[in-house]
Amino acid sequence: MVRVIVNKVTSSIATIFGASVVAFVLLRVLPGDPARLIAGSLASDEAIAGVRRQLGLDQPLHVQYIRYITDFFTGDWGFSFSSGVPVKEILGSRFPATAELALYAFLFAFLSALVLALLATYREWPVVDGVVRALSSFGLGTPPFWFAILALIVFFEQFGLLPGPSGRLSSATTPPPLLTGFYTIDALVAGQFDILGEAIKHLILPVVSLGLVPFAFLVRLLRANLLEISSEPFIVVVRSKGIGRWLTHVRHALPNAFLPTLTASGLILAELLTGSVLVERIFTWPGVGALVVDSIKRQDFAVVQTFILLSASLYILVNLVVDILYGVIDPRTRIPTTEAR
Amino acid sequence: MSESQSASSVLSGLRGDPSEALLWVNGLSKEFQLKRPGVWRQELQILRAVDGVSFDIRRGETFGLVGESGCGKSTAARCILRLLQPTAGAVHFDGMDLGTLGLEEMRRFRRRMQIVFQDPYASLDPRMTVLQIVEEPLLVHGVQDRAARLEKAQEMLSLVGITPDQADRKPHAFSGGQRQRIGIARALILNPELVVLDEPVSALDVSIQAQVLNLLGSIQERLDLTYLFIVHDLILAEYFCDRLAVLYLGAVMEMADRETLFQEPLHPYTVTLLSAVPIPDPSSQGRRNRIILEGEVDALSVQAGGCRFRSRCPVGKDRDVCRVEEPPLVEQAPGHWVSCHFPGELRPGGES
Amino acid sequence: MAAEREQMTEQTAQPEPNDDLLLRVRGLKTEFVTRRGTIKAVRDVSLDVHRAEKVGIVGESGCGKSALALSILGLISSPGRVVAGEVWLNGRELASLSDREMQVVRGRNVSLIFQDPMTSLDPVMTIGSQITESILKHQRGISRRAARDRAIELLRDVEVPLAERRIDDFPHQLSGGMRQRVMIAIALANDPDLLIADEPTTALDVTTQAQVIDVLERLVEERNAAVILITHNLGVVAEFCDTVKVMYAGRIVEEATTDVLFRAPTHPYTEALLHSVPDPKRLARGPLPTIPGAPPSLADLPPGCSFEPRCPLGQGVEVCLEQAPFPIEVGSPGSIVVSECHFAQDRWAEAHNPTEGVQSHE
Repeated sequence: MVRVIVNKVTSSIATIFGASVVAFVLLRVLPGDPARLIAGSLASDEAIAGVRRQLGLDQPLHVQYIRYITDFFTGDWGFSFSSGVPVKEILGSRFPATAELALYAFLFAFLSALVLALLATYREWPVVDGVVRALSSFGLGTPPFWFAILALIVFFEQFGLLPGPSGRLSSATTPPPLLTGFYTIDALVAGQFDILGEAIKHLILPVVSLGLVPFAFLVRLLRANLLEISSEPFIVVVRSKGIGRWLTHVRHALPNAFLPTLTASGLILAELLTGSVLVERIFTWPGVGALVVDSIKRQDFAVVQTFILLSASLYILVNLVVDILYGVIDPRTRIPTTEAR
Repeated sequence: MSESQSASSVLSGLRGDPSEALLWVNGLSKEFQLKRPGVWRQELQILRAVDGVSFDIRRGETFGLVGESGCGKSTAARCILRLLQPTAGAVHFDGMDLGTLGLEEMRRFRRRMQIVFQDPYASLDPRMTVLQIVEEPLLVHGVQDRAARLEKAQEMLSLVGITPDQADRKPHAFSGGQRQRIGIARALILNPELVVLDEPVSALDVSIQAQVLNLLGSIQERLDLTYLFIVHDLILAEYFCDRLAVLYLGAVMEMADRETLFQEPLHPYTVTLLSAVPIPDPSSQGRRNRIILEGEVDALSVQAGGCRFRSRCPVGKDRDVCRVEEPPLVEQAPGHWVSCHFPGELRPGGES
Repeated sequence: MAAEREQMTEQTAQPEPNDDLLLRVRGLKTEFVTRRGTIKAVRDVSLDVHRAEKVGIVGESGCGKSALALSILGLISSPGRVVAGEVWLNGRELASLSDREMQVVRGRNVSLIFQDPMTSLDPVMTIGSQITESILKHQRGISRRAARDRAIELLRDVEVPLAERRIDDFPHQLSGGMRQRVMIAIALANDPDLLIADEPTTALDVTTQAQVIDVLERLVEERNAAVILITHNLGVVAEFCDTVKVMYAGRIVEEATTDVLFRAPTHPYTEALLHSVPDPKRLARGPLPTIPGAPPSLADLPPGCSFEPRCPLGQGVEVCLEQAPFPIEVGSPGSIVVSECHFAQDRWAEAHNPTEGVQSHE
């Protein structure tokens, strides 16, 4: 087991390096010149050269790259080209918003998929199964931004049930004292239940919009796996012991069917955590997605490079956790078959 | 299943001239490397699926490779056909050492030796029609004339009892027994001399087994075929084969012609194996005389030195020579080869 | 017609005194509704099993024997359904019970052993927990500790070496023979009265098969349990079973004690089956007797006798084409055969008093 982890960590580090090279090259291959953008269109060549020197863009490529890598790993992420604010601060201020949204969206997608897949496959209930499959198709075929706008129109504009696209809280409310950056948790800890309620209400629509596609994907996958496992001989054997249907389904079918879902869940979580531009824009969510797109447009290498490496690291970390969880759940991966058949 | 070759089967011929036999196998070995996760490095463990197997098959006879799972019989057959590369040993086909052949020459030899697989459900491409499946070998071996191919394919299918109107259907439309017959047709279309039958009827029902075996028997003389019959069912082996070799953990324990092996088995494993077979006759004494082995076949447990059957052998379990020295394959009587230090000591009935 | 046949079944299958009777199945019918039609897997089957009796059910694939086993346990699931019949166990009728009520019976009074040990155990649970699951379900109030001890004891009973250690192993760490023994341990955990074993040794090597049958027989006799052994291996049936029932196309076509059945089968299918297995003592070498054709599709059965198209005796014969045979009792007390063949009586007579020029069926 230890060996497995060591292996994975090693290959993860290699992957991160690979990602860094790709990020580095791509950015410099883009047309345009960040120094010029920053100095302004009317600036003189001297001024532009000066900016370039300041940004370190006059150095040979391999020197730039080495600086990039070492700075990243030492935590010196530099300053945003366009705003001058330290990258760490910019990303740091925007990340919790994305993270909170992403995590709740993930939980929503995952738990709904779990419950609905179990119900759809438990007994022959064609109605339940049909509804679940319809929901899944709907989710897979619906772009999140379209759904988000539709939801806003229905729930905000028409019926006034939920708040509009004003971000995480209404403009008049001050956020709770900073602890984790998650408004829900911070408000709860501070005992500010009215703010907690408001934060939750503001989260509902973006969470559902963002979680709809992952839900659809997961429920379809889990449902298919559950159906397949349910027809395996060992399920009949469990039933022949006198175990009831629901218990058999949850205690025996689910753990076996769950594994492929684990991998998919990991990927989904990682993707959610790296921000969703459209949904964030629609709800005016102060997250990382919008920030990065703007930075790309402004050729703000510092922000974008760092962000790419961070995302890559995040993906790899999540996958590492998934791999370890695999070992925990499926004994076949951690204990080799010691006896020949 | 040929008639009395009994005179010539008594002649040994094993270590004789390789050119006399159609198939001559000597010291065949196949190793697999298993990766076992160690703490910091991966440990390699060698699995010798086939460990020095030698036998020969004469033209026109049916030779059986008998053994339980893990004994290496299927692996050996694949090595002979060069579907797997042997790690060591020589295979001579019609006097020609197959190991010396290049790819193209080997390809030409393949026409002469074909195989019928065990699983009739997995060995036929579900997307091809039965006719296409049977004609494919001709295509692969360069028969360009489509009409000639189709005619030959139809002929083969009729031979195995598949009518022309069925030939355009796909495998899923056929039963297990029919599919197996299609597999046989496919194996025969190149007019091979040697046909390897890898458990051809194990996956079939009892009454269908009989049909397929009868088919194989009836075409053997007609098409001048030699069979290498791989089987774990001893009753079938006894019925179908002229000579047999019993394998255990990759090596030959005993080899003899049919009557001798089943009437006077000398190796304790053979004796045990025979006693374990349930007889469909309530009045037989087989049950009383059954020898039950302890433990199980464990392919990874072959010790360096010593007899590979020792740990479960009623005769050799506690004997030093069995623990220390691997018994060589010795001709105890003409045509009867045994690998044991105490052959004949274990008698059917459990008396030693 | 069907009603008459049911009546005949009632009359002809008179068992010994009732307190010895463990299982009584009457008129069991199970169907599967598929796109290709309705598959009648079990067609009006009746059978009796006595205490500690070892009953063999013999048949080839597609004859409905597995469906029969699952029907008795109420484990037929969609698209299958038990459409008729009664199952009496210890005087209690099971077919009308709800699933909840059946859960008390399964694993406690009746247990099941399945065919393929490689796929019959939950891959992600230890074998110990799979045994204790059954114990904890049925033995109220037993502690986890005690259940675990009992599981170790059971593993020792089935001759799994180093039971205290192997109890925490996962199925993939065990060989096929070992897994099958674990299955036996699970099945016997609560001392059931009846054990149904569906092809328990088919997937095993012959020496492993011998071991498993040995273990099974010993334990079953120790516990005085009855066994229904479903198999197509006639050798195993001959050695293990007291009585045999032969199944074909969803019905039991012949039943008798093992001795009688093997010695003098009356039903042509039974005879053909016995002959198609090569027996070194019996046959000279030559083609094996075969049964031409293939078993009928259970969705599309002929109106008369289901074996008629392949029957050496009845093919084309009018009564066989038109009338499905009734179960008839033939023979003398002590060697009674119940057979579903229009010619059963004649064949019995011939076998026991061969007329001139006619060979006896030995």
